[in-house]
Amino acid sequence: MEQEVMESEMILPTHLSFKKIQMQDKYPKGQARGRHWKHLKQIIQAENYQNYPPYQPNYVNIESPPSMHPRKQICDITGFEAPYSDPRTHLRYANTEVFKLIRSLPNEYVQRYLALRNAAVVLK
Amino acid sequence: MPFISRTERQTDYNLIPPSCPIVIDNGASYFRIGWAGESEPRIVFRNIVQRPRHKITGETVTIVGDHDPALLKYFDCTRSGPRSAFDNDVVFQFEIMEYILDFAFDRLGADEAPINHPILITECACNPVHSRSKMAELLFETYGVPSIAFGVDAAFSYKYNQKLGICDRDGLAICSGFTTSHVIPFINGEPVYEACCRTNVGGYHVTDYLKQLLSLKYPHHMQRLTWEKVEDLKMEHCYITLDYASEVRLFQKGAKEAEEKTRCWQLPWTPTPVEEPPSEEELARKAALKERQGQRLREMAEAKRSSKINELENELKGLEFLIQQLRQVNGNDIPSFLAETGYVSKQEIESAIVKVTQSLRKAKGEQEEVEEKPEISNSEKYTLIDIPDNMLTPDQVKEKKRQLFLKTTSEGRQKAKQKRFEEELERERRNKEDEQRRLENPELYMEQLRVKYKELSEKVEQRKRQKTNGNGNENNNVSGGVGRGERLNAAQKERMRLLTTAAFDRGKGEDTFGIKDEDWQLYKKMSKDNDDEDEGPNEDETELARVSSKLREIDPTFFPKPDASSSGTEPPRFRPLTKEDFQILIGVERFRCPEILFNPNLIGIEQAGLDEMVGVSIQRLQSRSQRLEEGNGLTNSILITGGSCLYPGMSERLEAGIRMIRPCGTAIRVLRASDAVLDAWIGAASFASTMHFQRQVFNKNDYYEKGEDWLRRYQLKYTF
Repeated sequence: MEQEVMESEMILPTHLSFKKIQMQDKYPKGQARGRHWKHLKQIIQAENYQNYPPYQPNYVNIESPPSMHPRKQICDITGFEAPYSDPRTHLRYANTEVFKLIRSLPNEYVQRYLALRNAAVVLK
Repeated sequence: MPFISRTERQTDYNLIPPSCPIVIDNGASYFRIGWAGESEPRIVFRNIVQRPRHKITGETVTIVGDHDPALLKYFDCTRSGPRSAFDNDVVFQFEIMEYILDFAFDRLGADEAPINHPILITECACNPVHSRSKMAELLFETYGVPSIAFGVDAAFSYKYNQKLGICDRDGLAICSGFTTSHVIPFINGEPVYEACCRTNVGGYHVTDYLKQLLSLKYPHHMQRLTWEKVEDLKMEHCYITLDYASEVRLFQKGAKEAEEKTRCWQLPWTPTPVEEPPSEEELARKAALKERQGQRLREMAEAKRSSKINELENELKGLEFLIQQLRQVNGNDIPSFLAETGYVSKQEIESAIVKVTQSLRKAKGEQEEVEEKPEISNSEKYTLIDIPDNMLTPDQVKEKKRQLFLKTTSEGRQKAKQKRFEEELERERRNKEDEQRRLENPELYMEQLRVKYKELSEKVEQRKRQKTNGNGNENNNVSGGVGRGERLNAAQKERMRLLTTAAFDRGKGEDTFGIKDEDWQLYKKMSKDNDDEDEGPNEDETELARVSSKLREIDPTFFPKPDASSSGTEPPRFRPLTKEDFQILIGVERFRCPEILFNPNLIGIEQAGLDEMVGVSIQRLQSRSQRLEEGNGLTNSILITGGSCLYPGMSERLEAGIRMIRPCGTAIRVLRASDAVLDAWIGAASFASTMHFQRQVFNKNDYYEKGEDWLRRYQLKYTF
């Protein structure tokens, strides 16, 4: 290891005296050990919230409901108010100049703009 | 910069009594750890882990938090980006969490097992019990801590600000963090989780939105827009408007205020050095060098030629000598004599002589005078042409065919020559006329030429457009085919039509295809080679070329228009890069990005924004207690805390938004936390220093005996 790396102490030592179980004992090297953690979705599913009364707060039911305010439609490119929507690319746009621009955009960019508001076509 | 990492190793760990709790604010973006009762956390770092490979030794190392990026050059980080233990504020990857705790305790100065201090650690509101129990297990089993308490960061922050007298016992905490935003009502100083609400939008989304927008706007500078840099930009420049629509209209109109509000980030840029034209000497030197090289080549060629001529002359002499000898040899001895020389007959020697003389002549550069001895009278040359086939032997028929072929080709050649000659004459005549006109009135002549050039170029362009655009559709003739073009040209269209009719007509009724010979022409039309240029450059184009070359000669201001296909929408490709190309302008983005906190649907998250969440929270409170007046007073003390509440304009916007959804006349007071980023830790630290805290911790035995359901219901009491 380089001198300056050692000096900065940026690397976590593998053996730490204050631990009861060291990392390498817990996860021995060279052993395949599949995924040992759950995704948030799996965690929530395993919590079985449906078995509890709805007035008890839990991670799922404290989420905000969908907004009741009128949706704000803004131009995907410029952020201006967007009265129009392009039927071909599904991008929203503010005026003719932006329209010209979105028609000349390559498809990859169109999809990236759509992905910004979670509206891109996702092929699975 | 509200976020500063602090990772110096502490030395006083052993001086602190074991009863003193360690306080951890385990936030999704930053990890803060320190001692109860102190006013600041000892260690602060970004809550991320990287596990890159060392480039030289190849071993995988663990790097926690953010470090000097310059030192990362020794590591191969391509396959391991920074990883977080969090998903939406919930810790789910406890291996990463363990690295982070390792680092934190190490820097706090711990050096012997176990960690003999009670721990107060924060979690999100209504943390799933799985995450809570895994965290407890990790702390008990791996670090051997004696006892643990879990609390909610927003509650600590509210309580701390209540203690400072900023907010009341009853009120609301709006806590906008890194990945989520919470609104938690407080009644009698206790958080009411039944009525709290969470939207999954936070500072991460704002930064990501800004990063995406900028890298889409400036695709050339994508690599400069690193996460850290964009986060800096966000913290420095983003603000929240009172009214998005009116603010954006300013920018749309290009008003002066908008210009003032636009920020510009100048990327490092050095002007490309202007290439100096080579000096006279340089040019002369180069020319001389070239001349010398040419001279040498010419000499070499000359030497080669003369040696070849020499050779050929020698051969010729030898052959002539042979012939002479052959004449002297009498008839019977000829075969034996020839056998010695290697030739078979006298004719062969003669033909060899002819060949050698010819090549000699060629080498000497003389014109071959033979070529076409014009017209040895056709009748003489093509003897068999006029005789009908049936009067000839098969051999003669073959010969006749050959002669016919020769005749047509030579005639064709003759004609082409004639034509070329005539064209030459015509061009000369025209040039002379032009020259005369030019001398008579140069101004007028130039004007005429220009007009002509314009007309012609328009004509040619129109033809081209028609070809590429089919029978011109009117709406897009300005930009010459609006991008993503899908229209076929006329020839391609015709071909498609033929193919489809051919595909559909088969099997319908009786099939008459092929009865007539013309039917088979169809395939020729269908084949692909048809659709390129039907005729070569037409006369308009040649005329255009002529006029433009003429103009170029006499008009110094003339520049031929670039080809129609390369003009149009895209700018000229090669253009010296200017300072402006290295500027990143942030205008609308300054307030568009934080706007997602109020309108999460801008980034496709269908949840209520911050202002609406307050309404939702109060509604939930009322429906829980069945009393309408409950919660009305809460708006008098709304505390905003968390890193994403630091934007300028936040409290004004929140007040306006809440006023809209609450009944008229409601008292609304939006209060800024004393330190939106550190409050949660400071509050937790002061809480942990009270006796009240000691009664609320649980130890390893509690954890294993009381079971999961108890842990689920475990809740800290914040008032004492």
